[in-house]
Amino acid sequence: MATIFTVDPRSGVPLYVQLRDQMKRAVALGVLSPGERLPTVKALALELTINPNTVARVYRELENEGVIETSPGRGSFVARGQGRQSAVEACGDVARAVIADAIRHVRALGLERALIREIVDDEIARWYAPALEKR
Amino acid sequence: MKTEAVAVTGLVKRYGKSVAVADLTLAIPDGAIWGLLGPNGAGKTTTFRCLLGLVQPNAGEITFWGRSYSYRIFTDVAYVPEQSTLYEWMRGREYLEFTRRAHPSYDSSLARTLLDRFDLDPNKRVRELSKGERTALMVVMAFARHPRLLILDEPTSGLDPIHQRHVLDLVVESAATGATVLFSSHQITHIERAADRVSILKNGRLLLNESVDSLKERQKVIEATFEREVPPLNGVARDPRIARVDRMGKVLRLHVHDRVHEIVHELERMSPTSITVIDCNLEDIFMDAIAVGAPHPSG
Repeated sequence: MATIFTVDPRSGVPLYVQLRDQMKRAVALGVLSPGERLPTVKALALELTINPNTVARVYRELENEGVIETSPGRGSFVARGQGRQSAVEACGDVARAVIADAIRHVRALGLERALIREIVDDEIARWYAPALEKR
Repeated sequence: MKTEAVAVTGLVKRYGKSVAVADLTLAIPDGAIWGLLGPNGAGKTTTFRCLLGLVQPNAGEITFWGRSYSYRIFTDVAYVPEQSTLYEWMRGREYLEFTRRAHPSYDSSLARTLLDRFDLDPNKRVRELSKGERTALMVVMAFARHPRLLILDEPTSGLDPIHQRHVLDLVVESAATGATVLFSSHQITHIERAADRVSILKNGRLLLNESVDSLKERQKVIEATFEREVPPLNGVARDPRIARVDRMGKVLRLHVHDRVHEIVHELERMSPTSITVIDCNLEDIFMDAIAVGAPHPSG
C-alpha cells in the first residue's frame, strides 16, 4: 500500500514531529476523511522504513488530541465528528511557530510594528477572501 | 518493567595496554532498534564480540533477557560481522543448508525470498562473491532464522543503495514483529531512520545514549547577529547547556544542548539584530559529540 506521507530522516526535525504534523494537516485539509481507516503501525513503519515505535508515538499523540480514534482489534481511524476540528485546532501550534518565525525575521529587518501588522492584515484579507473561503 | 533483551554493565576490554571498551553500560529493551555510532576504533566491534562471547571481557556483566550467557540464548541471537567470516570455497546454498540444520526456526521460503531480493545466486562460491554479496549472504542467513536478537555490525557495507534499503526494511520488519536489533553503521541516516535510540562511542566510552528524536529536540544551534562586534557574553557562555561558542565578527553561534528557548530569551536581552534557531540532524549531533568528547550523562 502506498502512503501519502513522507519523512526526511536527514532533517533536524524529529521524525515523530514530521509525521504527526503531516497527519494533522492531512486531516485538517480533508485529505483524510472522518472515519477513514489509517494503516496499522506496522504497515506504516514498513512503508516509510522508520521505527515502529515512532509511528506508535504519533498515533498515541493524535489520539490524545482527538484527531484519530483507535479501537482495539479494529484499527485506527480519522475521528468522526470532532476529528477535523481537532486537527484544525491542533494545527494551531504549527501556525503559531510559523508566524512567530516570520515576525522574528521581519523584526530583524527593522520593520515597525504597525507596518508588520498592516502586511499581516493584507495577507489575511487576500487569503481569506470569500471566494477562497472553504469552510 | 519490560525485560531488557541485552543488559551490559561495566564492560571493560583491554588489548595489552590499549583500552578497547571502557566501563560500558547499556540496557537495550526488548523490541528496540538500537544504533551504535562511532569513529573507527571506537569499540563497536569489540563490544559486539564481547556480547557474543567471541572475546573474553576483562570486567563487566552481560545478560540476555535477564539471564547470563548460555547456549540456549545463543540460538536466539544472530550476528552479522563486519568482516566476512565465510569460507571462500563454500557455496551460498551450503551455508543456508548449515543454517537450516543448526536452527529449527529457519524459514526456507523466507530465505528464498531474500536471496531473490538481494539478487544472490546461491550456487556461487564465496570466492566469486563481491564484498556486498558476502554481506548480503550473511544478512540472509541471519534473518531467515527469525532470531529474537540481531547483532549487525555494518550490515549494509558494500551494498548498493537499493540493497541497503532492503536491509533496513528487514530491520524494521523484525522489530515490528518483536525482535530486538542492535546495529552499527557509518551511514548515519540509517540510524536516523530506523533506530529508537542511538549510542555514540569514542575510544571505548559512551558519549551519548538517547533517543534520536529527543536528541534532535534538545540540541540546536542558535545563531545571533549583532549590529557591531558580538558583545561580551558574561554568564551566558558559562552555561553548562552551551557546548560550544563560535564568534565570527558580528555573528555568534551557540551549540546548545538543552532549554533552547531560555537561552534565546537571554540572548534577546543583548539586542541582536536577528536570532535564528537551527535544527541539527544526527550527523551534526554526532560530529559535535565526537569533537567535544566529554562524557554526557545518559538521557
